[in-house]
Amino acid sequence: MPKCLVCYKWALDEKDIKIKSEDVSLDVTRAKGKISDFDRNAIEEATLLVEQQGGALDALTYGTSAVNQSLKDVLSRGPDSAYFIADKSAEKADAYVTANVLAAAIRKLGFYDLILCGEGSSDSFNQQTAVRVAALLGLPCVSYVLKLSVENGTVKATRGLGVSTEVATVKGPVVLSVLGQINHPRIPSLKQVLGAAKKPKTEIKIADLGLTPDQLQPREVYRSVKGFVTHRKQIAFKEANTAANVAKLVSSLAAEGLQ
Amino acid sequence: MPGIFVFSEESALAKQLLTPALELKQSLFQPVTALSLTETDAKQLAALGADKAVALQSAAEWVEGLSEEIAGLVSAAGASVFLVGGTLRGKHIAAYVAAKLNAGMSTDAKSVKLEGGKLLATRLLYAGLALCDEELSLPAVVTIPPRTFLAPNTAAQQGAVETVNAAADGRVAISDVTQADVSAVDIAAATKLVSVGRGFQKKEDLKLAEDLAAALNGEVACSRPVAEEEHWLPVARYVGISGHMVKPDLYLAVGISGQVQHMVGARESKVIVAVNNDEHAPIFENADYGIVGDLYEVLPLLTEAMKKNGGR
Repeated sequence: MPKCLVCYKWALDEKDIKIKSEDVSLDVTRAKGKISDFDRNAIEEATLLVEQQGGALDALTYGTSAVNQSLKDVLSRGPDSAYFIADKSAEKADAYVTANVLAAAIRKLGFYDLILCGEGSSDSFNQQTAVRVAALLGLPCVSYVLKLSVENGTVKATRGLGVSTEVATVKGPVVLSVLGQINHPRIPSLKQVLGAAKKPKTEIKIADLGLTPDQLQPREVYRSVKGFVTHRKQIAFKEANTAANVAKLVSSLAAEGLQ
Repeated sequence: MPGIFVFSEESALAKQLLTPALELKQSLFQPVTALSLTETDAKQLAALGADKAVALQSAAEWVEGLSEEIAGLVSAAGASVFLVGGTLRGKHIAAYVAAKLNAGMSTDAKSVKLEGGKLLATRLLYAGLALCDEELSLPAVVTIPPRTFLAPNTAAQQGAVETVNAAADGRVAISDVTQADVSAVDIAAATKLVSVGRGFQKKEDLKLAEDLAAALNGEVACSRPVAEEEHWLPVARYVGISGHMVKPDLYLAVGISGQVQHMVGARESKVIVAVNNDEHAPIFENADYGIVGDLYEVLPLLTEAMKKNGGR
């Protein structure tokens, strides 16, 4: 029965981020947090595995104090318990720092057969965490998994590499990153939401992880972040007569030299 | 001796990486070393300006299994910059090397340059909603997507070529490798794309889009749900943040709402046209021209009109 850990990120929901018209900076004041999209797939996959085979599933996250809002959500999706590192350093953490923190926390938590992550986070989409954590822990990593099975401690994972696929077979412990295709994350039922309140939530203090200041020093610093503004003509033909709309589009395309 | 290292398991992409590497050489004054999987590739990379090209000879079929070996070479040289071709395999290797070097890594950089002893990279955030300039301390790892740069011309001076034996990670066994579908079109190479979304009710209806694409001498592309959830079209045709980035002359989005995750893959198109029955769909803000209407009515009429024009 596998002992599993899923790592997730509490990220700003990009749907609610607006671009300020005056200076194209980002307005995040209305943006709420969410469990990063592909991390939800990782949570779902680990939950399915434990539902089918028994075992245990813990969740682990590193973020600012905002991660407190994520705990009930993550626990309603399946994990038995949640560990969180809520620290100001997360504001500026890059993948280097994040992986150092997660790997140190995993060492502290003990042994896991499977450690799952999403392919990349919905905000920065660095696609680095799983591989980095594996490298730091000295474990093999199978990235970009679109199908997973575990039998007697042997992991069989089909990787989706865009134009091709391949099957990776590896003895655990192993770190995996999953693609969005792997499953459809459940929408927690009321019972699951209520049950989540009773599950254990444990804070890990960053000071207890034995990290050096250098290991918490980001290598990658944002100098500027600007909303991407497109300049399109935005001409919509919306008469009741479809044929007339089509005719207008055809002549517009001709004027663009496309027909 | 420090240096600028490049690697991609894909020959064409490896050549493209030499362009930013040779630019960085101008400001870093460090030699460029190209790692490759075959001696043939190594010779070509040396001819294109790599000061040294190293062919990694290995019995292993799994490129990612060479991560430790590559990290060792990059680290032993004390390299300042490691540029990696931004395929999924490349990103796996790059992240491993970055972890081993205690280095930062910029994923899918659109540009790189050196400034004040830091590497400056431009990339997307929030699924393409924002552009970010970031600086990385050296050593730095950067992945660069395919076709970001053109390959350089043949260099005046040919670099040295050598071969090293590379040990692979034996812990992961790889099997059932499907080859890239040779019949799969390269939608990134098409000049006109008819891209289909959830507005289509069933797979058979995609015929409407295929007919229009044929009349335009273009190809059919799609949004993520059409490929990954409905499985109506192969993933190779999907445009979006984790799919293809395309820049055709004409991008005709049909039944696509226009979420940022999709648009980021198409927004460098010359002309964007939208067909959607929802007047308030974000696609219309991202389009030059649009028809608000039922795609089942619009497409046959548009196809007819294009056929008359001969699809030029």
